[in-house]
Amino acid sequence: MIKDYALSTSKLNLYYGKFYALKEVNFHVPKKAITALIGPSGCGKSTLLRCFNRMNDLIEDVRIEGDIFVNRQRIEEIDIIELRKKIGMVFQRPNPFPFSVYENMVYGLQIHGMNNRKKNHEIVERSLRAVGLWDELKDRLSAPALSLSEEMKQRLCIARVLTVEPEIILLDEPCSALDPIATMRVEELMIELKRDYTILIVTHNMQQAARVSDYTGFMLLGELVEFGETSQIFTSPKDSRTEGYITGRFG
Amino acid sequence: MRIKPRIVDVFVRISLNLQAFFTVGILAVIVAIIFIKGSPYINLEFIISSPQDMGRHGGIFSTIVGTILLVLLSIFLATPLGVGTAIFLTEYTKESVFTKVIRFGVESLAGIPSILFGLFGFIFFVTKLKMGWSLLAGVLTTTIMILPTIIRTSEEAIKAVPRSLRIVSYSLSATKWETVKKVVLPSAAPGILTGVMLSVGRAVGETAAIIFTMGSSLRMPLSLMDSGRTMAVHFYILAREGISMENAYATALILVLSILSINILAYYIMNRVISKFS
Repeated sequence: MIKDYALSTSKLNLYYGKFYALKEVNFHVPKKAITALIGPSGCGKSTLLRCFNRMNDLIEDVRIEGDIFVNRQRIEEIDIIELRKKIGMVFQRPNPFPFSVYENMVYGLQIHGMNNRKKNHEIVERSLRAVGLWDELKDRLSAPALSLSEEMKQRLCIARVLTVEPEIILLDEPCSALDPIATMRVEELMIELKRDYTILIVTHNMQQAARVSDYTGFMLLGELVEFGETSQIFTSPKDSRTEGYITGRFG
Repeated sequence: MRIKPRIVDVFVRISLNLQAFFTVGILAVIVAIIFIKGSPYINLEFIISSPQDMGRHGGIFSTIVGTILLVLLSIFLATPLGVGTAIFLTEYTKESVFTKVIRFGVESLAGIPSILFGLFGFIFFVTKLKMGWSLLAGVLTTTIMILPTIIRTSEEAIKAVPRSLRIVSYSLSATKWETVKKVVLPSAAPGILTGVMLSVGRAVGETAAIIFTMGSSLRMPLSLMDSGRTMAVHFYILAREGISMENAYATALILVLSILSINILAYYIMNRVISKFS
């Protein structure tokens, strides 16, 4: 792991009220690679992911201790608007706004005060091309986004994130609402995107982590049990709990 | 003896059908009576000329103008206030004693008979603030009267917008206000519009509160401080004082037709808005 880290945490503890959700987590996400977080549901992997764009702030009764760094800068020092511009997020369920495809695509741009029609159109085209939707949607930009198939919706959500040129993309179980073929296509897309972006993906699907990621972290009951190169985690895990999970003894 | 479920089912179906038919039937009978009694006296002249001799002769133009002014101004005042209150209650505060008190207040206001709003408007706007019987006093009173409806319906519409849409908006680095303005309000627009239309209906049909505050002058209201008469008030006075039943029914028919066309228009707008979103 020689690469520079885009995201890291040091002795991170997080509580939902009295529930101790993340325990002393030291975690690093290398730049321009795909890092996967795996583990049984309720282990805290989504919670950890949401720490990096401060989505946990929206939940009441959350207490966070320890340090989170984005590009080696402490997260508290970064303006939240800048932070969320730099770190895009794709959710479990495809969640386009109930507006047209085009309005979805320019939402982030307008939020950042970019109202140049011509420029925006170029960005929309480039972002839709990046997710392989341009040819299908170029004549249907004014169609309602909710009329698309689930897979296209999710791709649209990824494209929507790309419009504001983030450095890091957080994917929270992005394929759990998709069928196997759509999942495969989204995985191919992720591998293409890692040339330009740092990607952190949470998945409950171990095969998916093995297929797409360069690094994998295994979480259990709020602890980051083991972290390393994906090939190492899946072939020679150091911790017996990791071995137990990937060989299917529990989870 | 136990009645067979199948028979109960048939019975329920028939009785529900009858109930629905009854409801529509009442509406049809009312509209039919007004139409039969009023339509012979309606012509363009009746609509565009001013009332003469207390409304015994002439048309109802000044009351049409009075109605439109009263309703439009009240809606323009009440909609931003009401939607703003709803946004505040749903988006900007947590559930607390404070919000419960506001909600309780809103609900109480909604249940107050309109004559009490009229009395309040008369004491406060007309007398205390020395507005006299005027369009302004009528508008302010009507605004207070329709606020609760707009607040409640807007609140329900805003609450129905999925939380996931707000979250994704925040994740795209939008602020709270940007999220409200660009995601929540457009998605809640059809519901808010329903509340506004209900309020239009209530304002158009109101008599008691308006006689007390706007008065019942038959002259054309030309400023906010002029008294004026709405169609509903005109109808009430024509019928109550036995001035002219013919003109009363004709006025009622125009009133019903305008409410009907407002509803059709709102329905049309609502469908346009909804089809844009889904």
